[in-house]
Amino acid sequence: MLMTGQVLSSEEIKKIHEGSIRLLRETGIKFPGERAMDILEAGGARVDRDKETAYISEDMVKKALKTAPKKFTLGARNSAFDLEMPSASSSYNLDGTGVSVLEYDSGSKHAAGVKDIADAAVVFDDIDIGTVLWLPAAAQDVPGGARGIVGTGTAFMNCRKHFQDEVKNIREVRYVMEMAKAILGSEEEVRRRKIYSVTYCTVAPLSHDREMMEATMELTKYEAPVLIYPMPACGTTGPASLYSNIVMANAEALSALVLFQLTTPGTPLIFGAALGIVNMRSGIFLEGAPETSVQLMAMTEMGKYYGLPTIVAGCLTDAKVPGMQAVLEKFLTSMPLVLAGVDVVQGIGLLESSMTLSLEQMLIDEEIGRLCRRLAQGVDASPDKELFDDIAAVGQEGHFLKQKSTRKLFRTDEFYLPGSLIDRGSYDEWTNMGSPDMFSKAHERVSAILKEGPKEPLDSGAEKTIKEIMDEAVAKL
Amino acid sequence: MEKLFEDMRQSVIDGEEDLAAQLAGQALEEGIDPVMAMDEGFLKGISEAGRLYEEGEFFLPELVCAADAMKAALEILDVELKKNSAGAKNSGKVILATVQGDVHDIGKTIVGAMMTANGYEVHDLGADVPNEEVLRVAAEIQPDIIGLSALLTTTMEEQKNVIDMLSEKNMRDKVKVMVGGAPVSREWSSRIGADGYSDNAMDAVRLADSLMQ
Repeated sequence: MLMTGQVLSSEEIKKIHEGSIRLLRETGIKFPGERAMDILEAGGARVDRDKETAYISEDMVKKALKTAPKKFTLGARNSAFDLEMPSASSSYNLDGTGVSVLEYDSGSKHAAGVKDIADAAVVFDDIDIGTVLWLPAAAQDVPGGARGIVGTGTAFMNCRKHFQDEVKNIREVRYVMEMAKAILGSEEEVRRRKIYSVTYCTVAPLSHDREMMEATMELTKYEAPVLIYPMPACGTTGPASLYSNIVMANAEALSALVLFQLTTPGTPLIFGAALGIVNMRSGIFLEGAPETSVQLMAMTEMGKYYGLPTIVAGCLTDAKVPGMQAVLEKFLTSMPLVLAGVDVVQGIGLLESSMTLSLEQMLIDEEIGRLCRRLAQGVDASPDKELFDDIAAVGQEGHFLKQKSTRKLFRTDEFYLPGSLIDRGSYDEWTNMGSPDMFSKAHERVSAILKEGPKEPLDSGAEKTIKEIMDEAVAKL
Repeated sequence: MEKLFEDMRQSVIDGEEDLAAQLAGQALEEGIDPVMAMDEGFLKGISEAGRLYEEGEFFLPELVCAADAMKAALEILDVELKKNSAGAKNSGKVILATVQGDVHDIGKTIVGAMMTANGYEVHDLGADVPNEEVLRVAAEIQPDIIGLSALLTTTMEEQKNVIDMLSEKNMRDKVKVMVGGAPVSREWSSRIGADGYSDNAMDAVRLADSLMQ
């Protein structure tokens, strides 16, 4: 069977759901904005307009769960990379959104720029387990208001996969939809193919951000999928128990679900989470912690309980450079999600609590992801794998190298073939290569991928339009 | 005839032992020069298998089966080959054994397959081979190289014992001795007076090539 895991019992899931409903109904959620208030009131919520707070009933949540689609496809520029949601096995996002980039050669960081986003997109395109490109860093060499648009255009030009970002302001929506249209040809295709989705962060505790909320509501008109992403940190923006922090995060997620389903019934929603804990000396949000990992696993289970596709924060680290701590924490925060059956782990490539992008780390994380996937495949006890005849044929002593089944079955995916980063040779072979470590081998591959450049550039017409939209955003936003 | 040679090559690459033997027999029946059959057929197949293994395309099972297919053909052609003074191409004659008290067969088998793939005439004596037996066969077939494998720290001592026995019998300077196995190191190899050590099958071939010069 497949290897699976769970952190919540069915009673605990029910308790969390009921606790969240109680918070929605009694404590209420702040939705700063007339339009949201109107929509929620019309949908049956009791609203307190002075406090911009809505009190949501279980009935409203149930209705929203009914209109939210349980299945849809995150389209890709090249449809070979379309991702069915829910999906058969866990794949990976490119993580976002950092501010700096770790340079391999100097070992120091520089402020992220457009070039870095282009490079990351090209490398991400090459990563098999990578399905959804979230903008990995905000380009500091672009004026603040246009960073999302320029990043989006840059990603589209350099990667064939599904693209995900945030819309922080309602004015951005038109620009990103125009870009999608330039690629797909018509607004109808934009709605149908869904090559662009957004991450939507609620604001802990129990609030929404006005600009992001209004922008995302606007975007639902285009049927773009929305990833709901609550991120309370236990002890600061959330209560000081993992359980209660999960209850509160779940309430925030359900409040977003209700709002967007009321705004545009049928909007494809993805259940996500990025809960954590903090370093209680510094207040730094800790991503690579076991308490973070179990909370994220719990939220994955909540998403599955509601029957929604899931994209959950994982493959995380607080380490500053690739190395032992990074690998340890990233595995610690990947495997539980995979065992819980998450659709997409969000995601690979970032260090320092998702502040710093490393192209080399992207490839190291790919290996972590592939290893997790193999572990989750478990042990296959189907009739194909019954080799009793071979055991009898070899008998006592001897070996199985010459059995036909050995040749055949070692070529199947039951046996994991690591990429070039993992060393499985002998000591002499390793020293003959110059005793390389994972980091240096990753750098070698990064260089090779970047040398090749984008796998499938956009056609010149679409590229020209996208560049014009980027220029316009820089001038106007 | 070219078709037959092609089938011979392919039978080795595919590791089809029975087919390789059958094709060797067919060659003899049709009066084809066995040296030609080896050089143009089977040897080309085995060197292709070795190349595929070195490049990472082949796994061990493919390599080992290819070597055994090669051996099966060689057995059929051997009598005729020996009658022919010119002989087929041969990189050297090798005895391989896992030392006495040690039943670990695989590493040595892999080295044997890789050496076969590189044109060596390999006599694999198996595992847990008594030291006297190694010496007896060495005296009989006069190999260029003896390869001794040991997987245990408790049995690696036998590598030294075999070398000492070769010296006692005045056979040491007529043969090169290679050692290998998980606990064995370059340092151990020189301490016991072996001629070389390698920690993988491909390097073992390179080592043998250099010892043959």
